[in-house]
Formats: sequence, C-alpha cells, structure tokens
Amino acid sequence: MNMILTLIIFIPILGALLGSLVRASIPLLRLLAIVTSLFVLGLSWILAWYFDPHAGMQFVHIAPWIQNYGITYYVGVDALSLVLLLMITLIMPLLYLYMWREKRHGYWYNMMALQTGVLGAVLSLDLILFYLFWETMLLPVFIMIGRYGNTDNQYNAMRIVVMTIFGSMAMLFSMLYMGYLFFQSHGFWSFSYNDIASLSLDPRTSIVVAAGFLLAFAIKIPLPLFHTWMAPAYGSSPTPAVVILSSIMAKLGIYGIWRFGFGLFESTLEYYVTPLIVFALIGVIFYAIHAIMEPNLRRMFAYSSGSHLSLILLGLMLENVYTWNGSLYLVATHALASAGILIMIGMIYRRVRSITIDDLGGIAQVAPRFAFFFSFFALSIAGLPGTGGFVAELLIIIGAFKYSMIVGVFAALTMIAAITFVFWMLQRTLFGAPSTVTAGFQDLGRIDLLILTPLALLLLLTGLAPSLFTQLFEPALLEMLQAIGRYR
Amino acid sequence: MNQTLLLLIVILPFASAAIMGMAYLFTSLRDERIYSFIGIATPVAVTLFSLILGVQMLSNDTTFVIHSTLFEWLHIGEFQIAFSLMADRLSAVMISFVSLIGTLIHIYASGYMRDDIGYGKFFAYFNFFLGAMLLLVLAQNPIIMFIGWELVGLASYLLIGFYHQESGNITAANKAFIVNRIGDFGFVIGLALLFLAIGDKGFGFDAIRAHISLVDPGLLAPIGILLFVGAMGKSAQIPLYVWLPDAMAGPTPVSALIHAATMVTAGVYMVARFDFLYELIPSVGLFIATIGIASALFAAIIACMQSDIKKILAYSTMSQLGYMFVAVGLGAYSAGIFHVFTHAFFKALLFMGAGAVIIALHHEQDIFKMGGLKTRLPLIFATMLVATLAISGIPPFAGFFSKDAILVHAFAGGHIYIWAIGVLTAFLTAYYMFRLFLIVFITPAKTAHRTTEVGMSMKWPLAVLATGSALTGFLGANEAYGGSNLFGTFIHLGDRVHHVDHSTEYLLGGLSVAVALAGMMLAYLRFGKGASEPKADTPWRALAINKFYIDEIYNALVVVPLRYLSILFDRFDTLFVDGTINLMLLGYRGAADAFGTLQNGKVRYYALYILIGISLLSLAMLRMTRSPL
Repeated sequence: MNMILTLIIFIPILGALLGSLVRASIPLLRLLAIVTSLFVLGLSWILAWYFDPHAGMQFVHIAPWIQNYGITYYVGVDALSLVLLLMITLIMPLLYLYMWREKRHGYWYNMMALQTGVLGAVLSLDLILFYLFWETMLLPVFIMIGRYGNTDNQYNAMRIVVMTIFGSMAMLFSMLYMGYLFFQSHGFWSFSYNDIASLSLDPRTSIVVAAGFLLAFAIKIPLPLFHTWMAPAYGSSPTPAVVILSSIMAKLGIYGIWRFGFGLFESTLEYYVTPLIVFALIGVIFYAIHAIMEPNLRRMFAYSSGSHLSLILLGLMLENVYTWNGSLYLVATHALASAGILIMIGMIYRRVRSITIDDLGGIAQVAPRFAFFFSFFALSIAGLPGTGGFVAELLIIIGAFKYSMIVGVFAALTMIAAITFVFWMLQRTLFGAPSTVTAGFQDLGRIDLLILTPLALLLLLTGLAPSLFTQLFEPALLEMLQAIGRYR
Repeated sequence: MNQTLLLLIVILPFASAAIMGMAYLFTSLRDERIYSFIGIATPVAVTLFSLILGVQMLSNDTTFVIHSTLFEWLHIGEFQIAFSLMADRLSAVMISFVSLIGTLIHIYASGYMRDDIGYGKFFAYFNFFLGAMLLLVLAQNPIIMFIGWELVGLASYLLIGFYHQESGNITAANKAFIVNRIGDFGFVIGLALLFLAIGDKGFGFDAIRAHISLVDPGLLAPIGILLFVGAMGKSAQIPLYVWLPDAMAGPTPVSALIHAATMVTAGVYMVARFDFLYELIPSVGLFIATIGIASALFAAIIACMQSDIKKILAYSTMSQLGYMFVAVGLGAYSAGIFHVFTHAFFKALLFMGAGAVIIALHHEQDIFKMGGLKTRLPLIFATMLVATLAISGIPPFAGFFSKDAILVHAFAGGHIYIWAIGVLTAFLTAYYMFRLFLIVFITPAKTAHRTTEVGMSMKWPLAVLATGSALTGFLGANEAYGGSNLFGTFIHLGDRVHHVDHSTEYLLGGLSVAVALAGMMLAYLRFGKGASEPKADTPWRALAINKFYIDEIYNALVVVPLRYLSILFDRFDTLFVDGTINLMLLGYRGAADAFGTLQNGKVRYYALYILIGISLLSLAMLRMTRSPL
C-alpha cells in the first residue's frame, strides 16, 4: 500500500517513456495517455477510499536518495494534498480526451510529463524533491506554450518561465539555507518536511527565509503586481496547458502556502498576514474589474481565475474554520468549473478559429447544447447556488465576518465581482443573432459530451450535497487549526 | 406521509424540469402535447399536495408544523445546515396559492406559447421556477431559503431572456440578475452576521426564533436592514427596482407568474418569515415602510405616463409591493401576506388579460394603438374589468379588503404620513388602471386592426382568476365588514394589533373608495372619449415619462465608471507593472553593455586592466605584510 503514491506519481511519465522507446504512433500514444491516466484515477479513488480523515499524513513512503546531503524520496498524503490529488487525477483523463485528435507527438509527451510534475509536487514532503517537481512541471508548460501556442507564444513562454523561475530561485535559496541551518544545529543534513518544521529560527531569519517561499507562491497564484505573466500566458497557451495553469498550477501556489507557509513558518506568517489579506482583497476586485473589458475569452478567464485565487488566498490567511474549509472547497470546485469553461473556450477556438468575443455571438441559437454547458460553467464560476462555488464562497464570507467586519464586507463583494463580467460575456458570446463566424457553429459531439458531463455533474453534486465532500477534509483542517491555536 | 408530500412538492417540479430540459436538449422530441402534459401535470400535483397539507393545518392547532429532512447539507465546525423543509401555516398558504396560480398560468402558457420553437424549453424553465419558488417558501433555514431565492432569480434571468436572439432581451435579463445580486450581497451579509451571532445554537428558523434575544441589540438593526436590502432587489423597491420594468421583455406568462404573482413577493414573505426579528426593531420596520410607501407612490406616478401595457402593469406591481412592505414594516404581517395573496390573483389576471390582448392584436403592446376591444374580446373585457376594480380598491372586490387593512393599520399606528401617501397612491392607482382599461377596451380605436381568436386554454384560467379576484377578499374581511379576518387568524403571525372602532374603519374605507372613484372619474374624463399619447410638454411630464432618468443616472454612476476602470487597470498593467519589470531588465542589459565595452579588443586597454590589477594586488599584499600578524 505504501507504493501507491509512487505509482500515482510515476505511471504517467513511465507511460511517456514507454511510448518514446517504442516510437509510438499517435493512436498508441493516445491509448497510453488515457489508460495511464485512468489507472492513476482509479488508484487515487482507492486511496481516497482507504483514506482516514482523522489520521493526518498517510501512505507515507520514505527512501534514501542523496544520502550525503540528507535528501530523501519522501512522499505522503493528507487531507490537503488528497483534495488536489483527486482533482488532478480527474481532470487529466478529460484533457487527454479533449486532445483526442491531436496529431503532434510532443503534445502528448509533454502532457504526460506535466502530470507527473504536478502530482509529484503535491505529494512530496522533502523540500528538495518538492522543488524538483515544482520545476519539472514548468518545463512542459514552457514547451507547450512556446512550441504549440499562438500569438506571441515564444515571447510569452519566455515571460512565464523567467517570472516564475525568479520566484522559485528565491524559494530554492530559502530551502538550501534551512537545510544548512538544520545541519548547523544537528550535525547532519536533512530536507525532510518534518525535520525542517522542527527547526526553531530566530524571527529575523525566519522572516527572510519565509519571504523566499512566499515570493514563489505569490508569482504562481499570482497576486496582483506579480501577475503580468498570467494573461499573456493564458492567451498564448494551447487549451490543455491553460487548463493546467488555471485549475492545477495556480492551486499549487495556494497549496504551497498552506503546506510550507503554515507548516514551516506558522509563527512568522503573522507578519505577512495583514499585507497578504490586503493583496488578496485587492486581487478579488482588481482582477474582476480587469476582466470586464477584456476582449479575449481565454485572457478574460485568466483574470477570473486570478480573482478566485485571491479569494482562496484570503480564506487561507484568515485562518478560521469556515474560511479554511471554504478555501479548500473552492480550490476543488473552481478547478472543475475553470477546467470546464477553458475546455469549452478551446472548443470554440477549434470550431471557429477565434476566441475574440466581438467575433462571436448567437451560439445559443445554432448550438443549444454548447450554450447550456457553457453557461452552466460560467454561472458556476459566478458562484450560483446549486454549484460548489456558492458553498465555498458562502463559507469564506462567513469566516471573513468572523475575522472582522471590514474584511467581511470586502469578501462579500465577491458575490458581485464575477457577475460584472460573466453575464455581459455570455450575452456577447452566446446570445443575439449568430455572426458570420458562428453561423455554422457545430454543437457538442459525443466526445465533447463525454468530457463535459462528468465536470458538470460533479459541480452540481458539490453544490447540492457539499457534505459528501467536506467530510473528507473537515476533520483534518480542524486539527491543523487546533495545532496552530485557531480553533478551540 | 406528510413528509413525503412535502418533499415531493419541491422535488417534483425540479425533476420534471430536468426531464423536459434533457428531452429538449438531447432529443429531437418537439411534440407540444408531451411537454404541456408533463409541464401542467406537475403543478396540478403540487397544488393537490399543498391543499392536502393546508387542510391539515386547518384542522390542527397553530403549533402544527411538518418537518422533513432530506440530508445534512453542510457541516463545518458549528455551521450545521440540513437540507430541510418546513411547512407551517404561513408557508402552507404561500405554497397553496403559488401552486394554484402557477397551475393556471401553466395552462394559459400552453396556449400562449403554441407553435413557439422553444415550447419544451419554456415549460422546463417554468417548472424549474416553480420548484425554486417552493423551495424558497418551504425552506426550514435561511441558507436553503437563500438557495431558492437565488434560483428563482436564475429562472427569472432565463425566462426574461427567453427570446435570446434579441440582444436587448438579454440586456434586460442581465440587469435583472445583476441588480438582484446586488441586493443579495446585502442579504448574505445579513445572514452571515446572524449566523455568527447565534448560529452555533442551530440555524433553522425555529432555533433562530428561540435564540433571537441573545443577539446583541446593536447588531439586530443592521441585520434587519441588510436582509431587507435583499428584499429590495427581489421585490423591486427603491433603489433596486430598475430591473422590473425591463423584465417585461419576457413572454407574458412569465411576467404574470414570476414578475407579478409570485417571485417578486418573496421579499415580503421573507420579512414575514422573520417577523420575530423585525418585531424587535420597530425603527427598521418604519424604514421598510417608508421605502415601501415611497416606492408605491413613485411607481404609481411613472405608471400614469407609460404607454406600454406591460410596463404600466410592471410599475403597478412595484407600487402594490410597496403597500405590502408598508404592512410588514409596520408589523401588520398578516395584512401584508393577505395583500400578497389577493394581489396574486388580480395581478396575474391583469397580465394574462394583457397577454391575451397582445396575442389578439399580433404582438402589439402600445395601448394607444389599441382601443374599442370591448366587443371583440368580451370575456377578456369582463375579466379585466374585475381585476381593474379589484386593484383600484372598489368593494367588494379583493383588493379593497387587503389594501384597506394596510391603510387602516398605518392610520391606527399613528403613521399619518404613510397613510396619506397610501391614499394618494390609491387615487393614482385607480387613475392609471382605468386609463389603461378605458384606452384598451372602451375608447374607440384610431386605426382599425384585425384581431385573432384567443384559444380556450387562455380563456378559462382568466375566468377562474376573475372569480378569485372577486371573492378572495372576503377571506380577510374584518369584523367591521361582517367577516372575522379568517386569513389573518389562520396564518397566525406576530402582528402588532391596534384597536380601531368600526366608525373609523368605515370612515377610512369610505375615503379610500371615494378617492378611487375620483381617480376613475378623472381617467374617464381624460381618456373616455379619445386618447392620445402623453407628450413631454412640461419638464415634470418629461421627467415622469422618462422614468425620472434613473436608468441613465445608474448607468453614468456605475456601469460607465466600471468599464473605464477596467481599461485603466489594463493600462496600469502594461505601463506600471510591466514597465517596472522592463526597467529592471533594462538595468540588467545596461550592466551587460557596460561590461561589454570593457572588452573592446584593444590591447592598450587590456594593458591598462593588467596594470590596475597588479597595482591592486600589490596594495593588498603590502597591507597584509604590514599587519601585525
């Protein structure tokens, strides 16, 4: 059983290696990708079945790796990583289905490598191992945007890589320095999460070291002022990469703060809480307003994503039982909704070779099924009751009022933030008379429905019976909050 | 048994909506008979179930409440919400008339929507609305109520934008949803504050009622106001009313069911549901009543100058909703709900009559292009007459009793201004309603027009509603008028009671009737013989015809600045944020260039570097040897 996480992490890349060894044809690659991702999905469900919400870190697997420097292969899963794991393993097969007719080999290899990267980052508990996976996932994205993207793709690929590496370098220095400090106090090296967490740093060092981590995560999320890579990268990415950017990688920034920020720097973080709350509140509003006039659908949902991630971060920094549960729930539900809408934007591009809003319009008349799913995902991003986003936002709003009245009022603005652009966008995209571009718009086919239906049903279920899902992580979050003294 | 019925009342409409929606979306099934059968059978069943529950309420005492829990919806820390329904007397009354009128309008719609390409979709949306409305009414706790509250908004959005090929309809739909969401912003804050105050002891309405005294009194007033902000949006009160007139872009059955009889009254229902809360904060109640009466007057003034038949009725709805808020604001909860009840009959009737006229005249909505329809559409003429008399407050029709109860309550409670404005509004109501009625049915038409036959399915629901509009008033007639206020006694809310002797009651009632008759008279004098469109010849008239330019003001204050802000943010990104990053890159490149010039390939420069290097090294060595080591 303790091999299960290792299998989950490496099966995708092994599939890719196997494919490259036998010089697989496209149908074989497709088969490999789909079979491996479904296998990983199955494994993650088995894992969830045996997962004990009260038991903390589970399925731990430790193996020595670079012994001289105490670097270990150390993986494990707790409620936090489980949510991300389930989300990633669900989205990946759908993306492969979306790529069904993709003829370029590199596309498939990169996606499989990317899957290993994100899964590894979520499950690693050794700092260096985490860093390794953290960078591993960037490389395929770089290639996907630079090689297979559109409009200024090479420039924008460079831009995302330079900006995010700038952050991860800072994180690497912090990691190395903490390893060194551990060496100083114990006489041997270690980068394992537990060992580093047991270090007691003096406040000044701690503030500086924490800054390295926070910078990396702030760029990944991204917070306002660290965000200018986001819209161009979204705009230039091919659809599978953009889904990973929004639904998975951005969430890993949140995960990083949760795991390493609160795990390693819990007492130091209080110096950062107020500025981060302010940044997050600005982000919620700033991105939403930014999205209003954005003419490109993909870029519009880049800003939308930024707005929601700011809200998630806000919930995280407010540190109470409502906001934490709301934030983790929003991580999952926003990933689903965002994946849905971005995949559908990709479908628009495939059909009419444009995702500029002014070119579109009237899709509802020629393609009612498409319009139905598209508006469903858009409305779930706007937090409509009956979808999971509403539940998460409600929890964050309640928790924000628990924190303070002013933060509460600003957090509640999220109720209005998304609708300012979503409805106007729907009007110009789906309604009105069909334009010359959309006149022959094809409605959803079988494979399209196979991709979108699971996402839509799951979103509906997360909204109708949230208790089904929250019981998986609520006890663990309570324990974490108790550990840092935020819940009696 | 009861619990199952209660669940079915909510689940059935959603289930049939899902079935019809899926059938419409994924199959080529377009047979109108199938959709109308499923679409109408559902509200019929729901009406039967509601009546079964209602009859049991009659035969039991006031504490008889049916609870039904489906599952635990959410449990986070102390936040424990069950997906739970509750039928007490108030909600039983609400669901009975909502489902009854819903059934009639469904039947009417099966005729109105005939041969429409979106027939199946229409009934799917309509059933979905019904489910959401019933969920709102039957919710056992405010969170589930809020879910229903938002879902009726979604249904409203979908149905206003039903003809989505017209971009203008979608603009109206967007406006409705967004303005409602702004109200809900307040509502959610109110709920969050209420929850944080006493939610740990349970958040069902019963639990809140039991523990309301534990809430810090200073917090009660903000909670009450914030919840009411939600009602302002949903029930179209100043300043969040602007969506309602535009909502008339939807098909007429939608206007009748959602934007007249049921959904828009949800705000009134919510306040009555929270009667225990508002009873503790009479000053907030007075605020609500003030907003209500201001909306009533404001809408009535605008209604006098409009020429679109549905818009007149929309403003009239807003005006009547204002009366209802006067009632619930001043503590006359049962009178408020009674007006909700009677209004549902006559306003649904007015809209459906208007819809029949519109259909008969091939989608003409301008009243000044109608006229003399009395002989051509006799049944519609007769039923509309009943409804017009009812809304104008002429006894013995329903509106008289319900409106009179509100005005008498305001008078007896000492709120003379509110009473006086209420009477003035009653005058205007009679005026603009008879203006509409006369121009459409009596005044000879200027241009001849052909009328088409209106189907039976659209006619007999009108007759049923006309009967209701004529008779339901007696249910709430008080002792002075020979009744015993059956309605108020039955729903049993925490009313503030003022004693009024019969002579005062007759005096006030007589005054209202006289005022209404005067309004009718004025309408007859001005429009009885011939009618022409209102001209904006004086500034005041121009103001009223243009609805006081409120839309334009909101546009200039909110919409336009938001768009400019969005563009500004984009500039900010490229100029400031990227600018800073590029500046840093520029510095980096500058440094590179500087180092680049050093390496220029000229030997004499390299000799210089060597010289500098050797000198520095020598200096360093000298210092080292001089040191005391």
